[in-house]
Amino acid sequence: MFFGNGVPTTVFIYSRCDIGMDDAGSSWLTKISLSCFAFSYAIAMILELSRLFFRAPIRFLIIVGITIAGIFAHTVYLWLKFQKDFSGGTPMSSWYDWCLMVSLAVAVTYVIIAIRKNENSIGIFFLPLILLLIVVALFVKNQDPFTPSEATNIWAITHGVTLLLGTSSMIIAFVAGVMYLVHAFRLKKKLPPRVGFRLPSLEWLERCNRLSLFYATGLIAAGLVSGAIMNILRSSESQSGIPWTDSVVVSSGVLLLWLITVTIFEALYKPARQGQKIAYLTLASFVFLAMVLVFAFMAEHAASNEQVSWITEALL
Amino acid sequence: MKLQMIGCSHHHTDVAFREKLAFQPNQVVEALEKMRTAFPRSEAVLLSTCNRVEIYTAAEDEENCPSAQQLIDFVANYHGLNTEEIATELQSLDGEDAIRHLFTTAASLDSMVIGEAQILSQVKQAYDLANEGENTGPLTHSSFQAAMRVAKRVQTETDIHRKRVSIPSVAVADYASQFFERFDDKVILVIGAGEMGEETLQYLIDKDARDVRIVNRNHQRAVDLADRTVGRAVAWDELHELLVEADLVVSATGASEPIITASSFQTISDLRYQKPLFILDLAVPRDIDPAIADFVGVYLYSIDDLQAVCDRNRKSREREWPKAQLIIDEEVSRFMTDLYRRVTGPWIGRLKQQANEIKAAELERLLNKLGAAADDPKLRQEIDVTLGRVVNKLLHPPLESLREEISPEEGSGLLDALKKLFQLKD
Repeated sequence: MFFGNGVPTTVFIYSRCDIGMDDAGSSWLTKISLSCFAFSYAIAMILELSRLFFRAPIRFLIIVGITIAGIFAHTVYLWLKFQKDFSGGTPMSSWYDWCLMVSLAVAVTYVIIAIRKNENSIGIFFLPLILLLIVVALFVKNQDPFTPSEATNIWAITHGVTLLLGTSSMIIAFVAGVMYLVHAFRLKKKLPPRVGFRLPSLEWLERCNRLSLFYATGLIAAGLVSGAIMNILRSSESQSGIPWTDSVVVSSGVLLLWLITVTIFEALYKPARQGQKIAYLTLASFVFLAMVLVFAFMAEHAASNEQVSWITEALL
Repeated sequence: MKLQMIGCSHHHTDVAFREKLAFQPNQVVEALEKMRTAFPRSEAVLLSTCNRVEIYTAAEDEENCPSAQQLIDFVANYHGLNTEEIATELQSLDGEDAIRHLFTTAASLDSMVIGEAQILSQVKQAYDLANEGENTGPLTHSSFQAAMRVAKRVQTETDIHRKRVSIPSVAVADYASQFFERFDDKVILVIGAGEMGEETLQYLIDKDARDVRIVNRNHQRAVDLADRTVGRAVAWDELHELLVEADLVVSATGASEPIITASSFQTISDLRYQKPLFILDLAVPRDIDPAIADFVGVYLYSIDDLQAVCDRNRKSREREWPKAQLIIDEEVSRFMTDLYRRVTGPWIGRLKQQANEIKAAELERLLNKLGAAADDPKLRQEIDVTLGRVVNKLLHPPLESLREEISPEEGSGLLDALKKLFQLKD
């Protein structure tokens, strides 16, 4: 039930992204490219990794400064692209855009947590995922935008937005779960604390993990239900609905069932709410989500060659 | 000018001796009052902690500063001790040595646990008390303010304060904090009412621990510890029930056998539903069966695990020592140079004034001799400037030597020579 279409393109991680910003004016902001914020995040990640090797008093400020600069460039880039696509009729309605939006959401979450927990090395876990999302965005850059549909605008928006937020939330839960397991392993093995590799407390990680998983489940459930309604409406109006046997639809359904099972298991089985089990369940959930996303990327899901997006129509 | 310190510390004296000389906070105030009466023109600061008793005195005029013997007599009289008995144990330092000692002490390089943070606040408190009692003056102001600045420099520029070296502090700050975000909502179980348990509990209370349950075979000792802290004494029989509820266990009893075995913990574990449990076994021999560490959700740390971290931290602090020592050396040198310049300044001014007076007198005598020829203002000015140049050129080399002298000891010799050669008087 996820959107998706096309073949992966060549990755040009450091190439300038030609987004034709002439309409947006000739200010320096229009010169911001994907490489600007990708570089910012990459430098921030290198600095985070350097924590493992030596101390530097102002490093944290530099990391936060660079990441905020990256987020600024990231936001401006998406905003200008939105403006450009809006005039062209297809704003923020491709896998490329959505991958960049998820990476922006995760980057904002990272910088907030980093400021609140400035002695912890959370960037080592967050920043690679942010960069990975940008790389995935480049892979799917040449895919067609999503299918427009006059009758299903509201459901399409609900479907897309909730899945975007749900995916972001699941990524955060995944990062917290990985950190929890790494931290629990270190503590169980009585490895000495390292100045350059401090993680948040187990208690905090467990709470963050559980809450993010809870929100992700709710949002993804809402996304899938709205997608199902959208598909029913499309089919009833003789539009080209997606078959219910579509691999993305089936895998999405399995993901939803899994998440509901995890939630019930977590609520009813007491040990599941404590310690490592919730982290393992989150990891499994994330793997499920990743599989569904791969299906969606590879399959003919929610994309068309039409250049007018459903979002444009909804907004117009 | 004189600056000196007499006192004793944990380095050369035992705790019994230090106890005899120690001043309680109210006694510090009283002693400072008495010192002000006995030595009215001298500045004084009294630093008394469990590891040291030190009196710093200073005066612009050396004669106004009490001698080391006078200070020893003062301390002996105050505590009703025999002067000879304490004199041999007390250390006496003056000038640069006293300043170096003060800086080293404030920076916690002279402490029993190097890098401990408490000493700086104790130095500050001693200085504040002396200030309130009006025992301080320009010399103690500058030296104590410099000492606090130096201590902060050492804190920020080295890692010497970063790593903890006592078992309870490592247990709480380095380990418990990795498990828990907050302590006010945690159930903390303290098994045993001995010193180690109490000290660890104090660290936990500092972290806002509220729900503390204390069990001890001798229940009265548990009650006493609970009265001294925020804890609640619970009967020993309830130990297993308490373990089911606990988030953090601190065990430090004198038991010769483990008080919690793996088999007895199985039932407890079943009731805990794998809820994480952090156990600090600070007892020797161990209170907790090491096999309990294999249970899911249990994180068991023995005193050996913590001791290893303490030793590593201690070594790490030792590695930072030379860096800290360099800061102390640099600051002592700067302080003494500043101090010396402050001392020489007035004498240089006096010498210049004396030279100018001679110049003016000689100029007047010459102009009188010249009579009408001296009416020419240009000539008068030329003679005045020439005489001024002669005076300046004569004084310049000795004054420059005095100003640029870095070593206060040597500088003091030059100053004395200058006073003698030019017959300068106060």
